[in-house]
Amino acid sequence: MSASPDTWSERSTTLAHALARTGLGDRAAFATLYQATRSHLFGVILRINGDRNQAEDVLQEVFVNVWRAAQSFDANRSQPLTWLTSIARNRAIDSLRRRKTEPETVSLFKAGANDDDDDIDRLAHLPSDDAGPLQLLQQAAETRALTHCVGQLSREQQQCVALAFYQGLTHAELAQHLAQPLGTVKSWVRRALAALKDCLARPATNTDRGT
Amino acid sequence: MDYSRRELADRLAAHYVLGTLRGPARRRFDALLPAHPALRQAVHAWQERLAPLSTSVPEIPPSDRVWQRIEAQLFAPPQAAPAAAPQRWWQGLTLWRSLSALSSAGALGLLVLALQVPPPQAPVVIVLGANPDTAQAMQASFVASVSGDGRVLVLRPIGDVPLGSGRALELWAVPAQGAPRSLGLVQAAGATTLLRAELLRNTAALAVSVEPTGGSPTGAPTGPIVALGKLQT
Repeated sequence: MSASPDTWSERSTTLAHALARTGLGDRAAFATLYQATRSHLFGVILRINGDRNQAEDVLQEVFVNVWRAAQSFDANRSQPLTWLTSIARNRAIDSLRRRKTEPETVSLFKAGANDDDDDIDRLAHLPSDDAGPLQLLQQAAETRALTHCVGQLSREQQQCVALAFYQGLTHAELAQHLAQPLGTVKSWVRRALAALKDCLARPATNTDRGT
Repeated sequence: MDYSRRELADRLAAHYVLGTLRGPARRRFDALLPAHPALRQAVHAWQERLAPLSTSVPEIPPSDRVWQRIEAQLFAPPQAAPAAAPQRWWQGLTLWRSLSALSSAGALGLLVLALQVPPPQAPVVIVLGANPDTAQAMQASFVASVSGDGRVLVLRPIGDVPLGSGRALELWAVPAQGAPRSLGLVQAAGATTLLRAELLRNTAALAVSVEPTGGSPTGAPTGPIVALGKLQT
């Protein structure tokens, strides 16, 4: 569970205020909220949906949704950034479904479509042993309580979690990327999730879970 | 499939949050969420568990046109966007027409009283309607009456307010601009009477939020706004 609001960082408290004001229809607070979180959320979305134009559409949807749903934000249940990031991840994953139903983008090669160098073709990246997502997972583990728990996963499990979480890969895409049978990959993912849950629930690992 | 089974709910929630629940299964899960508190609870727990993973994602600033499009979509004048122009739920004309009809009727009743014993100023009656966005979690509406001199407020819930343990209701005076002021905790059952100097000065609306016992720890609403009523001017 999340820490209660009186132990939050200054940033969380500021965001919670902006979110509360947004819930009351305060446009200035909404603008503040956007400025403070847009780059983080765009980074998260762009990792999942590497098409910059679609990622911008997703970010727009996210904030339109936030304006309408801000009243239902409950600071006693979530930190503001966790709440916002969850909405962004969800919308980004949904946008992948859309992409797959749009024939012209099936190849993921969007020549001439305003691509930054590293966004051009995720397909070309995938078969290589791209350490990107895995690196992110390890960086996240260093800064947070997850250290010990991520360390307990096998390398395959770490890869699965990282590629699914950061890049939105499906089970089938994971199997293709890791050149393993679908059933094997599914069980890696399932065991990784179960191991994370167990590890995070264990009181002995709580010593470094301050904020 | 029995989605209320805890273990299954937890497994589906884990895949939903990780992103590996996809296609029709994800859509079905999305559709089930609003009606299944156990699923929502499991999703929330997984969001909390996996939230630290997002902290290492490098920030990337989006182009300025995203904000322009958000503003255009939400706040464009009606002629620019005839179809959408979304409003906050309490800004809808119908609501205020009916509320104002209601309060006109109320005012008429008060007028009859007022004619009999003329007070210095007429009392103000404010209906705080349930917020449809949070109605799923809590359906709550209230009537506030404020004395003519603005020193006494009586708040009564309309119907039952289902308040969980460890939760309290807090009443806020919301100015047209600036931060809401807490008017204090109010009861979920029965009337609460508040005595304050100048209760309605610089107040555009009253709102009720759900807070932990003892009230908001931050001085601003932290929980969902469950009911809101604008002052008629």
